[in-house]
Amino acid sequence: MKGSQLLVLGAALTASAAQASTQCGAALPGDKRVLENARYQVAYQTSVNPVPVGTHFIVDFAVCPRGKAAAPSSVRVDANMPDHRHGMNYRPKVITIAPGLYRAEGLLLHMPGRWDLTFDLVTGNTTQRLASTLRVE
Amino acid sequence: MKHGGFAAVAGLAVVLAGTPYAQAPVAPAAAPAPAAAPAAPAAPAPVAFTEAQLRAIQALGPWPTPVRADPSNRVSGHPDAIDFGATLFADPRLSRDGTLACATCHRAGRAFTDGLPRGLGAVDVDVDRNTTTVQNVGGQRWYGWDGAADNLWAMSLRPMLDSREMGGNVAHLAALVRTDPVLQTRYATVFGQPPSGDDEHVAVDVAKALAAYQETLVTGRTPFDDFRDALARGDTEAAARYPAAARRGLAFFVGEGRCTMCHSGPRFSNGEFGDIGISYFIAPGKVDAGRHGGIAQLKSSRYNLLGPFNDDAKRATATSTRHVALEHRNYGEFKVPSLRNVARTAPYMHNGSIPTLREVVRHYSNLDENRLHADGERILKPLGLSKYDTDDLVAFLESLTTPLAP
Repeated sequence: MKGSQLLVLGAALTASAAQASTQCGAALPGDKRVLENARYQVAYQTSVNPVPVGTHFIVDFAVCPRGKAAAPSSVRVDANMPDHRHGMNYRPKVITIAPGLYRAEGLLLHMPGRWDLTFDLVTGNTTQRLASTLRVE
Repeated sequence: MKHGGFAAVAGLAVVLAGTPYAQAPVAPAAAPAPAAAPAAPAAPAPVAFTEAQLRAIQALGPWPTPVRADPSNRVSGHPDAIDFGATLFADPRLSRDGTLACATCHRAGRAFTDGLPRGLGAVDVDVDRNTTTVQNVGGQRWYGWDGAADNLWAMSLRPMLDSREMGGNVAHLAALVRTDPVLQTRYATVFGQPPSGDDEHVAVDVAKALAAYQETLVTGRTPFDDFRDALARGDTEAAARYPAAARRGLAFFVGEGRCTMCHSGPRFSNGEFGDIGISYFIAPGKVDAGRHGGIAQLKSSRYNLLGPFNDDAKRATATSTRHVALEHRNYGEFKVPSLRNVARTAPYMHNGSIPTLREVVRHYSNLDENRLHADGERILKPLGLSKYDTDDLVAFLESLTTPLAP
């Protein structure tokens, strides 16, 4: 159900690209967080908020190039606990919902504490990483 | 509303902090010692939980958790299947030589364990690992010390087919159900038709009936559960019944000890895997690969949730199986066990190498960090517990066990 909504919303995003570039993640319904660096903005939302320990969740996100930056050719999502030097026990899969709009499935944070949710945006030989901190209890 | 609830609990912390220390174990008084005598240890301070600790305590309940039928097992939760599974659980004919039932090792009087360091197989050889309890097994993400099964019916099938354990095969199981008139009738009642000619299908159905039964083996409430719920409703009188030593142990468990990093949630396990410095050598030159081997088995198994025997066409519970990652660090990792009824499930660890709870606490207290994976987690540090700290932590762990009926 949510996936089909996103498909529709993704089409709307494509049709109004100019608006999307000024408001990254406009196609994502509800609360979202926006990350940015010099080349990209990433707007994301999680299927459960706050993210609980030990439960699979989904991340829907939009990637918006800034200025003359190219759209990434591939996108990866992961999460890790920097204090503990480990990541998840699961490898998320990223699905393209529409141009610039993605869904990452299969995330599970198995410990309470600080997690860094990372978005790796790959263009050619370059990877740009944007990260968001989640505090999980 | 949620925040309001926490505020009420936090308010209770003040009350607990002022609770008289009447239930504490006898500890040397903090009175001035004679000049020549060694200083007596100070009495432990009364417990004042922080707000973070109170939230962590709430996350360890409520108990029991709601029961949900397993969509991968079409007879999960069905009364006839539960009864049939209970009968099968006690039937030694499920083993190839007719000497071992599930109940032989999972003994009801021993919290559904065997009390041995490592399980005994049908051919009278030790298996490599400690026999885990089958209580509270419904709804888990992974089963077994290595998580080689992602569902309870596959986990139930494994020992029946393992040559070192019950030593059977699918043909043996199917033939038993087809030829025994009582079992055949009960199978037909549960599954809506007599056992087919497909041995594997019938054997998996036997395992599904066993799973339906095991899902009902839920441990009772514990002193900790009563305390946790009393905190939640602001009942100071009920909370005060929880022994002071257990309360101090709990404060350490959810606080400085950081035990809830792994032993989290109402089951006191995050359902995942870790390396805690226990040897994974089975014999000279032979190692137990733990989770690393478990993931490999899982992915190659016909009985996983992505395989043909999952009764749920949507594969709704297969997300973990789809996404589980095999990492080098999984080598020598073993499942984080539940701590419910832990006082009755000795000996401990995947190889049963630690005989008592007190020695388990000592293991963490004196942890040899050199035995942990170099590329592994940096969660574990030696706890360096005093005798009194150890007593408190053991008292807390014992409070996770259901009191025996008088």
